[in-house]
Formats: sequence, C-alpha cells, structure tokens
Amino acid sequence: MTRRLRENSLGLVFGVLFLLALAAQAVAGHADFNQQQLTDGLEPISMGRYVTSASFAVDVAENWQSEYLQFFLYIFLTVWLIQRGSPESKPVGEQGLESDQKQKVGPYAGDDSPAWARARGARLWLFSNSLGLVMGLIFVLSWLAQSIAGVAAYNERQLSDLEEPISWGQYLASPDFWNRTLQNWQSELLAVASMAILSIYLRQRGSPQSKPVGAPHTATGIEG
Amino acid sequence: MNRFSLIVVVPAVLLAAAGCGDGGRRTAASNTASAMLRAVAEGDGSGACALLAPDTADAVAQAQETSCAEGVLREDLPAPGAERHADVYGQWARVRLDGDTVFLAVFPGGWRVVAAGCRPDGSDRPYDCTLSGR
Repeated sequence: MTRRLRENSLGLVFGVLFLLALAAQAVAGHADFNQQQLTDGLEPISMGRYVTSASFAVDVAENWQSEYLQFFLYIFLTVWLIQRGSPESKPVGEQGLESDQKQKVGPYAGDDSPAWARARGARLWLFSNSLGLVMGLIFVLSWLAQSIAGVAAYNERQLSDLEEPISWGQYLASPDFWNRTLQNWQSELLAVASMAILSIYLRQRGSPQSKPVGAPHTATGIEG
Repeated sequence: MNRFSLIVVVPAVLLAAAGCGDGGRRTAASNTASAMLRAVAEGDGSGACALLAPDTADAVAQAQETSCAEGVLREDLPAPGAERHADVYGQWARVRLDGDTVFLAVFPGGWRVVAAGCRPDGSDRPYDCTLSGR
C-alpha cells in the first residue's frame, strides 16, 4: 500500500492540492459574493447555493480552459518547434512526427506496447494524437462552460444594476468574456515561455523538468 | 470514473450550475411581480409593501414621507398587465408585463420586488423606474 502511494505520489499530491485549492476558492468566493449581496441590500446565500451558482462556475471554468489550452498548445507545438538549450525541447534537427521505428508503432511495436500502437489507419492516428486531442477537447468544453456560466453571471449583475440582460451570442462578443479569457491566456503563455527559456540557464537538481546540474547550457532535450 | 466520463460529466455539472432551464423560479418571480401590482391596483398598500424588498419599501416611505403602505398607493404604477417574459439569473429576476417591467431579488421569504414601473432608458443604461430600492 505504502509503495503504491509512493509510486503514484505525483498524481495523488497534485490531486489533493487541487481539491484543497478548489475548496479554499469556494470559501473565499462565497465570502466575496455575500459581501456584494450585503452591499446590494440582499441576504447572504448558503455555501451550497454558491458552489452551484454561475459566479462560481465561471470563475472555475475560466481557469480550467486556459490550463488545458496551455497543455494542448505545448503538446502539439513541441512536435514542430524547438528551443536550443532547453530540456523542454527536442534536440535540434528532430522536429516533426519522427519515424515509426523511433515511435515504436506498427511493425516496430514491442510486445509491451499498447494494442492501438500496433494498429493501422485511424486507430493508430487517434492513439498517436490522443494526449493532445484530449487536452484540446477539455479546453473546448471548459471554454464553452465558461461562456455559458459567464453569460448567466454577467446577466445576474446586469439585473442587479437594473439593466438589460444579453444573449449568449452577444456575450461571446462582450468585453467581459474576452477579458476573462485573455487574462488567463496571457499568464499561461508567459509561464510556458519562461519555462522554455529559463531552463536553458537554470537547474533544479533531481527534477526531470531540468537538465542535470552539470549539463552545458547548449545541451537541448536532455532531462535530468 | 474513466477519462471519457470525466469529460462529459464536468461540463454538464458546470452547465447545470449556470442555472439553465429553471422554469419554477421564473413562475414564482412572475407571480410575485403580478401580486404586488395587483395589490396596488386593489388599494392594498400593506399587501403590496409585504412583497417589496426592504430597501425598496424604505425608499417608498422616504420619497412619499409617509408609511410604505400609504406611499406605495401614491406611486404612479401601472395596472398589472399580462406576463410576456421572465428572466432569472442567480439571485435576480426581470419580469416583463404588458405596460411594465419589474425587477426582483431573492430574500428569505422568496422573491421580492426591488424595482417596478420600469422603462428601458437606452441599451447601455439602467431602466428608469417609478419605484426602486437601488
């Protein structure tokens, strides 16, 4: 049991941290929402009602979509784009989909390869791109959820100001939707660019995200 | 839960959380709006004030320099018309009736009227309301 926990500690620790952060976000968001309620001369709402509200949903979804967009772009773009000296990049000259032999697909699949790596045609294509596609799909669904929860939260504020609610289509072209979207995108893109470039010159001993401490700055695609 | 279930369930929960398709709340908000206007039309000031939000009732009393029950009958509110449309978003609702638009919010006793006798005042401006607690 202990060994099992230790061997899955990365996923487990991040999963637990995610739940704690989400719970803390709910507590802080609930307090913030109720502060606004009191300012508006209304009654505070319960935690149960808050965590099922559009306000909470849009705040959660706007962050989810940007995280999954970041991974989707990173997974796909690092197939073709490189960064000399970065452990986040493939070595110079290896851009592209690489050979079947290197990727261990089709006739080069090993006995322990997943079944779909031995397949041909659509199944092989799908499995070969499954990581990026699933990240991309979660991004699209989270962004859709952001837009639907967003218009409801926006219209709640509109009504509280005695103003006209707007349609989902109008919301997609609204400053509120794009402000929420782009403020998350810019931070994710900055983080990726920082990681790709800072890892050329900086090291974190023992981390697979870093080159070995003694590796030269010019070494590309080596992880420690 | 496998990966596919997660992809389907998570957005579904978020969409549900967005408050889509809540017909019962729309009906309750419409009923309160109509009942308040009907009470005014029938001269029942106390009944009308019981359906106003506390800040709105205070605003009526202050504006008319009397009690809410007397003051609300002096407000130039239209007679209750047929309901045309209701929107509910979270703690707020807008009910459009023939000849009037009413804004309501949720209170412990249910929906209460925050503003009534409202007319649109340009696309990006608040409604102009005869009676308002905002």
